[in-house]
Amino acid sequence: MSFLETKPGVPLLESDNLVRHYDVNRGFGKPNATVKALDGVSFTLEAQKTLAVVGESGCGKSTLGRQLTLIEQPSAGELKINGNTVGNLSDKEAKLFRRTVQMIFQNPYGSLNPRKKVGQILAEPVLLNMDQLGRKEREERVRETMAKVGLRPEFYQRYPHMFSGGQRQRIAIARALILEPKVIVADEPVSALDVSVQAQVLNLMMDLQEEMNVAYVFISHDLSVVRHIADDVMVMYLGRVAEKGPTEEIFAKPLHPYTRALLASAPKIDPAHRVKAEPLTGELPSPINPPSGCAFHKRCPFATEECAKVRPELRTFEGREVACHRVEEIA
Amino acid sequence: MALLEVQNLTVEFGSEDKPFRAVDSVSYSVDRGEVLGIVGESGSGKSVSSLAVMGLIDFPGRVTADALTFDGQDLLGMPAKRRREITGKDIAMIFQDPMSALNPCFTVEAQIMEALKVHEGGTKKQRRERTLELLNQVGIPDPKSRMTAYPHQLSGGMSQRIVIAMAIACKPRLLIADEPTTALDVTIQAQIIDLLLKLQEDSDMGLILITHDLALVSEAANRIQVMYAGQLFESGPADSIFAAPRHPYTQALLEALPERSEGHDRLRTIPGVVPGQYDRPTGCLLAPRCRYANESCITARPEVRDFNGRDVRCFYPLNDQGQPTGLTADMATGENV
Amino acid sequence: MSENTTPSAAPAANVAEPIGAPPSPLRETWDYFRKNRGAYVGLMVIAFILFLALTAQWIAPFDPIAQDRTAFLKPPVWMEGGDPRYLLGTDAVGRDILSRLIHGAQLSVSIGVFVVILSMISGICLGMVAGYFRGWVEVCIMRLMDIMLALPSLIMALAIVAILGPGLENAMLAIAIVQLPHYVRLTRASVVSELNKEYVIASQIAGAGHMRQMFVNILPNCMAPLIVQGTLGISSAILDAAALGFLGLGAQPPLPEWGTMLSEAREFVGSAWWVITFPGLCILVTVLAFNLMGDGLRDALDPKMKR
Repeated sequence: MSFLETKPGVPLLESDNLVRHYDVNRGFGKPNATVKALDGVSFTLEAQKTLAVVGESGCGKSTLGRQLTLIEQPSAGELKINGNTVGNLSDKEAKLFRRTVQMIFQNPYGSLNPRKKVGQILAEPVLLNMDQLGRKEREERVRETMAKVGLRPEFYQRYPHMFSGGQRQRIAIARALILEPKVIVADEPVSALDVSVQAQVLNLMMDLQEEMNVAYVFISHDLSVVRHIADDVMVMYLGRVAEKGPTEEIFAKPLHPYTRALLASAPKIDPAHRVKAEPLTGELPSPINPPSGCAFHKRCPFATEECAKVRPELRTFEGREVACHRVEEIA
Repeated sequence: MALLEVQNLTVEFGSEDKPFRAVDSVSYSVDRGEVLGIVGESGSGKSVSSLAVMGLIDFPGRVTADALTFDGQDLLGMPAKRRREITGKDIAMIFQDPMSALNPCFTVEAQIMEALKVHEGGTKKQRRERTLELLNQVGIPDPKSRMTAYPHQLSGGMSQRIVIAMAIACKPRLLIADEPTTALDVTIQAQIIDLLLKLQEDSDMGLILITHDLALVSEAANRIQVMYAGQLFESGPADSIFAAPRHPYTQALLEALPERSEGHDRLRTIPGVVPGQYDRPTGCLLAPRCRYANESCITARPEVRDFNGRDVRCFYPLNDQGQPTGLTADMATGENV
Repeated sequence: MSENTTPSAAPAANVAEPIGAPPSPLRETWDYFRKNRGAYVGLMVIAFILFLALTAQWIAPFDPIAQDRTAFLKPPVWMEGGDPRYLLGTDAVGRDILSRLIHGAQLSVSIGVFVVILSMISGICLGMVAGYFRGWVEVCIMRLMDIMLALPSLIMALAIVAILGPGLENAMLAIAIVQLPHYVRLTRASVVSELNKEYVIASQIAGAGHMRQMFVNILPNCMAPLIVQGTLGISSAILDAAALGFLGLGAQPPLPEWGTMLSEAREFVGSAWWVITFPGLCILVTVLAFNLMGDGLRDALDPKMKR
């Protein structure tokens, strides 16, 4: 099982109908409820590309991130790296997996251990997965990676609380990069940062993508950031994919009613970019009790009876994939 | 006469001899029926200035101002009891995280009725009716059943609506909203902002909208104020301030937005970080990061001046082409380019 | 590092500036601690007691168990009948009280430290396992701790000593067992709240195994309340040891443990007050000092109290 070996024609990362259910204890006497956090998500990712996963709370994008990095095992479906299915991994396989897929977290203030120095935090992945390296080599690798993300050498001895949000995110990026993975799952990496710092960190991520041949799964709710950084976009709603395709096409002409609503709701600086649309009514449904048929039908301005009964599957339309019964009429 | 008049507001923390100025000589005013957007990054002092207006800055913070008047009445000089009658009733505030703004031990109904009891009085029946009315006003579906819910049973958007209902319960004349939608999803955000603007229009309320989201404030506000490290950098009407910024910081901030970088491979960044407590520059606070900075920017602190109808704190405000005025070729050091 | 392509952006290396020079965490804690005068005084007193404990052999004027048959129940030097050799007087068998007190400090400090170290180490291990693995492991451990907490501490200590036999070592073991549940509960509570934090998940993704997660990654973040509990635990260990000694089940005579001294002097409360008062005062002052220091430490380590 060689995760590190690329094969021609085989996508770097492939998610095949990933499903993740959680059992929720509802108290004494009541049967357990099931939260369908992910209900069949499939996509592929090629090397050095960026796939953005977009959606609001409860859509399952963070859950997807956890499945891709093996923090949790999916309830059903398969994850393939370079054609190799990732199932229950042995220790050796797990180490190889970690050198292929890594993660950057959202919260720069929580994702770094407050009691460890920067050098220790960055050395941990190397210590655990590259046992062939000695202490000196480890330190050298840490320092090299720190330089790559623009952290000064003296930061090696400092604690995380001495840094600003943007710098901490650089440390988090360094930690994700230090094993030279091929895929990095970035879960809202710039959402907690100010606009000016966000720009710096995004530029850094794009530079590193080129320099180190890394593919990103970029989870975000910020559509303007996504438009700038992503090659492909996957819009999720309540654990399923609503629309998936190349970024420019989706932004230029969103087809799924939810995608349209998302793009219309996001405020824009230039009046020319603003889309006048009916604001979406209602709340996001609860994943414990999802609506029948299409999960979006209760809030959709185009909903029909069929939408309430039959769940739409993803199908190809105008160069992308959409899960909507009425997409031909709406387009 | 402006509804709220703030002149040279300063909020200091820390020791007397080396204070940390969270807010540094900020002046603004809000009229009846006007929406003022205060925008800035973290550390800009935008939240602290509103907390000072509401009297929520506790010891060891020190609040000073040349004038801090609401409807002609001096808020600073007023006895605390009188001030408490005004804040919460005539001036209301809503905060970022609705989950922590609501008391988890009490039902929605109890909390709104408490606000009514303190300021307006009335029998229990009257207050309950008014509560139902308020919940309808803020767009809560099926209010009768939601009234007896506890905050943790509600979603983020719902909770924020409850918070807004509590804030408008006493028909305030000024509403301060501190990052009201930052914790919410973008479709819910749109609903909440529409709600706030509708309420503001219906009751001719003044609204101060504090946020870090430039696009949001450009769509919602009449006038916008840009703050940086405690100081006011630029202030002007919403439709022109982002189209033709006069302060280099506003210009740079706009350029850093992904929306403005379409077609460019990389985003245009502002080098450096916002100064913290320990590394405040002398002179202009932006000078270490400003691309047009020169000698005078580093040594002297600019004051707020009027420049073509806009208030700008800069020695060389930008003209319509986005170039600094008053800066001759030999003056520019081009250091930060 | 590739340069940015647009003119107004600077290379990233210049951009990552530190936010001034904030003090190191240790320095910051010390600054906060020092401002609390009670805590500072407590620390000075403890330092003094520690000094006594360490230098007892050289400072004490007399051997604590040497008896002087010519000087039974001599009052302190400032009273009528006092002897300048015995500054604080002597007890019923002619032993110098001052020397016994000084040696008693050595005993009390060692009791406190030993008990706390023993119960803290075992408490941390149990609490860590309970909080990290959850499930039935947690249930077993925590319910056992609940049962232990339900029993009055002194009674439980008495029972243990009764089983093991009287003596200072057994008394210390008994007190350590009695204090155990506090550390287990504290550790478990801290671990459960830290487990959800992202840095733990980040280490998991990096490949950290259970032992590393528990003791290298999570434990350092749980230490603050444990340290506070530890300092307060020293004072309560001293009190419990004194109580056991008073009941004759702790340090056995002629060991100059303060509680044992109290027990031997019971009958003299009316006639020779100094024999019972001075050991009592020592216990009071020491326990008070540890409590003040513990309070100060808790305030200094509490992140919410910080600016």
